[in-house]
Amino acid sequence: MSTTKKVLRMGPVALVVRRRVIAVHAGVALAIVAVAIVTLTLGRLGIPLPELPAALLGGAEGKVAFVLERWRGPRLVTAVFAGGLLGMSGALFQAVTRNPLGSPDVIGLGAGAGAGAATASLFLPGFPSAVAAVGGAGIATLAVFGATGRGFASPARTIIAGIAVSALAFSITQYVVSAKLRDAATHLAEYLTGSLNSANDLDIIVSATGAALLIPAGLAIGRAVSLLELGDDAAAGLGVDPQRTRTRAVILSVLASGVAVAATGPVAFVALTAPQITKRLTGTAGVGIVGSALTGAFILSAADLAAQQAPIVSGLPVGVLTMGVGGLYLGYLLVQEHREGQL
Amino acid sequence: MALMVLAVGCLALAIAASLLFGGKPTSIADAFTGLVGGTDPYLAAVLDARIDRTLMGVLSGAALAVSGVIIQGITRNPLGDPGLLGITVGAGAAVVTVSAITGNGVAVGAGAVWVAFAGALTTVLVVFMVGARSASGSVVKLLLTGAVVSAVLTAYRQAIILTHPAVFDSFRHWVVGSLGGRDGSVALSVAPALGIGFILALMVSSSLNNLALGEEMATSLGTPVRLVRVGGIVAAALLAGAATAAVGPIAFVGLVVPHLARSVVGTDHRVQIPLALLLGATLMVAADTVGRVIARPEDIMVGIVTAWIGAPFLLVAVRRGWAAR
Repeated sequence: MSTTKKVLRMGPVALVVRRRVIAVHAGVALAIVAVAIVTLTLGRLGIPLPELPAALLGGAEGKVAFVLERWRGPRLVTAVFAGGLLGMSGALFQAVTRNPLGSPDVIGLGAGAGAGAATASLFLPGFPSAVAAVGGAGIATLAVFGATGRGFASPARTIIAGIAVSALAFSITQYVVSAKLRDAATHLAEYLTGSLNSANDLDIIVSATGAALLIPAGLAIGRAVSLLELGDDAAAGLGVDPQRTRTRAVILSVLASGVAVAATGPVAFVALTAPQITKRLTGTAGVGIVGSALTGAFILSAADLAAQQAPIVSGLPVGVLTMGVGGLYLGYLLVQEHREGQL
Repeated sequence: MALMVLAVGCLALAIAASLLFGGKPTSIADAFTGLVGGTDPYLAAVLDARIDRTLMGVLSGAALAVSGVIIQGITRNPLGDPGLLGITVGAGAAVVTVSAITGNGVAVGAGAVWVAFAGALTTVLVVFMVGARSASGSVVKLLLTGAVVSAVLTAYRQAIILTHPAVFDSFRHWVVGSLGGRDGSVALSVAPALGIGFILALMVSSSLNNLALGEEMATSLGTPVRLVRVGGIVAAALLAGAATAAVGPIAFVGLVVPHLARSVVGTDHRVQIPLALLLGATLMVAADTVGRVIARPEDIMVGIVTAWIGAPFLLVAVRRGWAAR
């Protein structure tokens, strides 16, 4: 351990530096940059690589400007920010439920956010969809919390209540879609699965503002949330109020998921997988807010790159990809839990 | 016996309501005269549509409910439901695949039933293999496996329908579960599968009673456990597949009705199955009638109504601790 850990001291501040964690963060960040470059340059309509730096610095004209500002730029930026929010949301929620399966996707947070946004679009046109999505996510979370009778303390109850709440939320969304978008059914189907195909400036503003406000807040409570994993008594002994920390983490998670859904629609399983992958990469306990956010951003932007360019799947909403791949990963987790006898 | 008569009475009431009320307002007297042989062509068309969807409701509701009883019996899991376990989604995915390959819309014809059956059977097997035997004997794993399999299959289905516009068009109502827009021929084409499914279900019913005592006890009582499981799985898949081919994937009917039946007649599967059949038909027809009337002229698809009946039921089950600790 002594070779992987180092304490950085600057006057009264001491920071434990884990080399492997830093390396993983840097690696994932580099991977995001790579995805971004490929996203912008690949294909017939891509911006030629030599022109990219100039274009990014503001020298874009004509076709290049169109691709950068209207087409691939917005969906890339939205994917990075929304993915980061989803990753953080999942990390916080999984820390609270102490179970990888107790994540926003399984709890019905995403479905609730989608239902909120859809309902608002039907009954309150002009109402900001981000607010409606956060509201929907909040209601879904409260419903699950109330239905279990013991908060999120029992993973089994939480999961089943989450399945029920998801079904309710999904049926609301389907009703809205069938009532409202009779003729725009394809658009609806895309919205229901989560898509970046029509990402625009508003989505960038929503997701970037959300990330700028919420990820620092997540970092601020990250340490306290990590201590919860030691158990309530140990956490309390270290000066953390378990109940208050849990409440804050859940609220933050709801906000982050809601904002992400408002920008992209309910993209499945990013929130579930990102923290798990991060944990395996860094090999550390704790919530890993930064790592999860980076991994979430990477997953969503890479999946969207595939949704734009890969054969067979190109043109599909990105949610279809994450749902399929994330579902398989969840199946793998299930088999593992089966072996360990946890559920 | 009195209970069965009561259940038949409820079903008759639901059917009557389904025929007399609907999205197109007709007075009860008008509807009645139309039913006994009126000549108004508008009324006749409206009533024809109502008769068809009532028939579809009776068949699919009964099938899903019995399928639920059997799944709950085999897995000894009170949360078994063909919808929640992804079986109806699997059936749907198979139908969509075939219609994408053949280039037809979702052909809800005689062949679609068997395709749906194949999809349902495959899904049941996968879900049971991954989820049925949890190390700690918890019921959650099966349900979660169902949710995962549903998610993967839904992604696959979305991928197909979004890339095949023709399939999509015929699929968008079917996918939520709707009794509207089906004609009598659909009922005819799913009838063989339903018939075999019901008969198989009744055949395994007494063995399910033994199975409820535990695998070892059942074996020592002379129950061919493996054969009962296979028969039950085939029956459940036939019923769920046929119902899905007819009306689309519908969840919760197979969850709620077996619980209702059990609370009325106890745990004997030989009584539970016929009662669930009647109650399932009643629930589905009633849910469809509510969906047609509640937001006129909007037609709320029956899958949405059953979700609003079934999901709160599931929440209560969680709250009371029936479902999981």
